[in-house]
Amino acid sequence: MSIDLTFIGQILVFLTMVVLLWKNLYGPLNDAMEARTKKIAEGLAAADAGKEAKSRAEAEIDVQLKEARAKAQEIVAAAEKRAAELSEEAVTKARVSAQQIAESARGEVEAEVNRARQSLRQEVAAIAMLAAENVIGEELDAKRHAKLIDGVVSEGFGRA
Amino acid sequence: MFELADQSGSDGIASHLQYWTYVVDESNPFMQIHVDTMILTVTIATLMVGFGVWLKGKIVEGAPEGVQNFMETIVGFINDTVNDNFPVHNPMIAPLAFTIFIFILLCNTLDILPAYLIGYTASLISAIGSGHEFVWGGHMPSFHMRPVPTNDLNLPAAMGVSVFLLVLYYEFKLKPVHFCKELLLQPFASLLLDARNPIVKFLGVLIIPVNLILKLVEEIAKPLSLSFRLFGNMFAGEVIFLLIASLLLGGGVVATTAGFFVGLGWSFFHLFIGLLQAFIFMILTVVYLSLAHQPAEH
Repeated sequence: MSIDLTFIGQILVFLTMVVLLWKNLYGPLNDAMEARTKKIAEGLAAADAGKEAKSRAEAEIDVQLKEARAKAQEIVAAAEKRAAELSEEAVTKARVSAQQIAESARGEVEAEVNRARQSLRQEVAAIAMLAAENVIGEELDAKRHAKLIDGVVSEGFGRA
Repeated sequence: MFELADQSGSDGIASHLQYWTYVVDESNPFMQIHVDTMILTVTIATLMVGFGVWLKGKIVEGAPEGVQNFMETIVGFINDTVNDNFPVHNPMIAPLAFTIFIFILLCNTLDILPAYLIGYTASLISAIGSGHEFVWGGHMPSFHMRPVPTNDLNLPAAMGVSVFLLVLYYEFKLKPVHFCKELLLQPFASLLLDARNPIVKFLGVLIIPVNLILKLVEEIAKPLSLSFRLFGNMFAGEVIFLLIASLLLGGGVVATTAGFFVGLGWSFFHLFIGLLQAFIFMILTVVYLSLAHQPAEH
């Protein structure tokens, strides 16, 4: 157990080994580990950024969905309103049309009644004239006695 | 084999605790080299650097596998230890700690090889190389080969002194005034700095050499404790291995059986001791260098 030249030799061996192992073993391994750590950190940062972007996109989607829903509700409400208006318009038109039809029908009925009355009057006049000829035994001239006949018929119809 | 058995007594153990020494100058005990320590450390260093060069070409940046994965575990462990203890970033500290840990661990692990294996193998090679006729069970040449370099005080001392010089370098580089003040004034700084009485102040000046001696003892204790802790643990471990081997080789059936199991148990325990000593040396190096990097308190 003594200190001798081996001590100097061991210092040289040790220091040389520190330098050579630093350059050939520790350094390359540490560089690879640092590069991997950096890569993993970048990956994690990218994942975080992706998550953040996803949450932002989801928030954006929510906003757009809300806007779209609101817009759709507006459209539906407007459509419902328009439908109601159209329906009311149609009902009004139908009512007017029906009224017109009814009035027209009423006019036609009236005209028909008048025609029927006129026809009836003429027939009654002819019958009355025939009856009167039979009663008085003399042929009546329709043109000459038209005033008389019309008066009788009108009186008769007036009573009817 | 009988030769080994004969050597397993106390003389045998003593002979196995000697180094293969090349004497440069017999008049000066410093001028000699432990060839076995040099061969083993240079071999281990070469293998480590060769392994590093081999692995360097195979490193992938993606998911590591096999040897790279194993080595990255060690590098990660060292990096964590250094980052936990170091206040600032110094790119040299982690490679230094890595080299210390791996190198000491490998040197210590050699201790679990069978006690006489390396020495005996070296003896055979020496006998064949020197042209001696080798006969199994014959006399071994007078040749010593210590199997564990950390058992040689020169290696732990060299590493401890290297670390100590680095600590001094950083102390002088980062806070020279503070370190000089500590060297000269601590632990009795209050005598000179805080006292109002001129006599006490003068006493504070007189006591500066005492401060310097105390501080030097404190500083020198660092490499000494680093070196002798590792050396002592590994030396004691080797002596116990040799005692177990003497039990294994020199006794009867019971002693041999007991020696086998005791040796097996001690091998596992010594593996753990070797790992622990490598870690302690590494962590203390980091702590000492960390203290040198701490900002000066005013």
